[in-house]
Amino acid sequence: MNQQAKPVLIVMIEDDEGHARLIEKNIRRAGVSNEIIPFTNGTEALNYLMGPDGSGLVSAGRQILVLLDLNLPDMTGIDILEKIKSNQHTRRSPVVVLTTTDDSREIQRCYDLGANVYITKPVNYEGFANAIRQLGLFFAVMQVPETE
Amino acid sequence: MPISKNALVRSTVLFLLLGLAALLAIVGAMVWLVNETAVNSSNLIKARSERSALITLRGLGQDAETGQRGYLLTSNPAYLAPYNDARAKFPDQMETVQSAYADEPEQAALAARLRQTMTEKFAELEQTIELAKSGRHAEALAIVNADRGRALMDEARVFFARSIERADQTVLDSIARQQRGIEMLRWVTFLGALVIIAVVGGSIWTVWQYTRQLVEAQREVAVLNADLERRVSERTADLGRANEEIQRFAYIVTHDLRAPLVNIMGFTSELEASLGALQEYVGEVVAPPAADASADAADETGKAEAARVAAFEDLPEAIGFIRSSTRKMDGLINAILKLSREGRRTLKPETIDLQGLLENAANAVHHQIADAGGEVVIVGRPPALLSDRLTLEQIFGNLLDNAVKYRSKDRPLRVRIEAGIGPGNTVVVKVEDNGRGIAAQDHERIFELFRRSGSQDQAGEGIGLAHVRSMARNIGGDIGVQSELGTGSTFEITFARDLRKVIGAI
Repeated sequence: MNQQAKPVLIVMIEDDEGHARLIEKNIRRAGVSNEIIPFTNGTEALNYLMGPDGSGLVSAGRQILVLLDLNLPDMTGIDILEKIKSNQHTRRSPVVVLTTTDDSREIQRCYDLGANVYITKPVNYEGFANAIRQLGLFFAVMQVPETE
Repeated sequence: MPISKNALVRSTVLFLLLGLAALLAIVGAMVWLVNETAVNSSNLIKARSERSALITLRGLGQDAETGQRGYLLTSNPAYLAPYNDARAKFPDQMETVQSAYADEPEQAALAARLRQTMTEKFAELEQTIELAKSGRHAEALAIVNADRGRALMDEARVFFARSIERADQTVLDSIARQQRGIEMLRWVTFLGALVIIAVVGGSIWTVWQYTRQLVEAQREVAVLNADLERRVSERTADLGRANEEIQRFAYIVTHDLRAPLVNIMGFTSELEASLGALQEYVGEVVAPPAADASADAADETGKAEAARVAAFEDLPEAIGFIRSSTRKMDGLINAILKLSREGRRTLKPETIDLQGLLENAANAVHHQIADAGGEVVIVGRPPALLSDRLTLEQIFGNLLDNAVKYRSKDRPLRVRIEAGIGPGNTVVVKVEDNGRGIAAQDHERIFELFRRSGSQDQAGEGIGLAHVRSMARNIGGDIGVQSELGTGSTFEITFARDLRKVIGAI
């Protein structure tokens, strides 16, 4: 990821802390050293992304990449995706949906709402670790725009 | 009042009998009246002829007397004409009157007496006329004056009056009897008509009532039918929903079970990686204990030895068990997931060339079978059918894989596939092999999830046949097996010829 004045933040919204830790470890193994801010529920994550007033102004000027799980305890990831992509301050932030669901309608829906990448968590750990490592490699080369 | 079929028959017969009885009564009364009328009219005719015979006879007597008187007064023979005429007719007429009373002894006796009287009268008349003819007028008049002739005539008149009155009475009696008969017939006819009307009315009422009951019952049946159909479709919908829910439940459960499993496996890998570092260190530090080591050193060495055992034996063993167990669990969850996915998959009915499909399935395992000198033969004429291609491919692929997997080591594998039509518009396919067979107590068990049979020398999780059964049921059929241990197995798959009807029913 581009190492400019304002480093890219990775916002990870994942309710399973074990998964969160494994994702972080495997991303790190791919050589990504950006700060990862983990959230285990949707409310806190939205608070961070949109600010307490929900306007999204807090995200203006940030470079953020969102790693999003769809199954959250307090809301579905789809709600968060919708909010991110409909807010002018956050809509350019890339969103990577990383979830267990492989339902084709769900996948279509996420892309329709503006998801940039959709990854199904592989069922076995080797596949899982491999996918996250490749995702980390992908993060290492991708450009993240600064939000307005 | 409900009328049963028997009651209807009984009452109808009863009404018919009543109507018949009424008709018979009317007819009987008619016949009786006709007889009565015949008797009456013959009586009437008899009485009338009696009467006229009597009147004629009386007239003859009077005529004769009148002629005698005229002749005695005038001595003119012209006055004798009525006398002669009456005298000539008298015997015949007397006979007529007497014969009329042939079957009435009392009257016949009276008539015989009359004949005597009349004969005497005629004798007296003749005597006087003969005397007058011979000029002995005085003698003749003396006989007349003796009043003998008048007395005879009076006696005869009494008889005539009584007999005529009697005949008149008979006439009146007959008429009265006739009228009574007619009156009676009228009443019988009237009552009979009433009975017939009642009977017809009763029959009509019964039939109407019965018909109304039938219509009512029919309507009830129709309502029940509609209700039944509604209930069946409701239940079917319920079943469909329940089935859907179970599939959804299985899907969710497997998804949610998988998440912690990924953690267990992930951190086990992390643990293994860490173990590598630990083993490296412990391997370097822990040296074999020296022979002259002090107690302290021996204690240190003991700890080091324990650490070495932990790092090189206990930990790898524990990690190994965790790994193999989670892998197994992963396999089981995947199996359930696969089944639930299959259940959720939308079936697409299409025209299937079953012969071609079976040949393709056979070709997929051809080299495995041919290498061991075996063969697959397909016989029978598969009917045209509409079903889900993928499901059928998976079913037969699975069965052929099993045939190869569980073949007998002693002989080359022979698989015989026979397709045909089954009852109830179904297709029946038999897949027969000469493999190792299945023990009788396992014939049902092999179709259960995670259950396997026979020696466990082949890899597998025990989901293949469970999956096949689930798929066969999805396409409106089922699978069963006939097998003898050591001889071979025959799997019989039935499924609907037209899948659309199965889908439409759920």
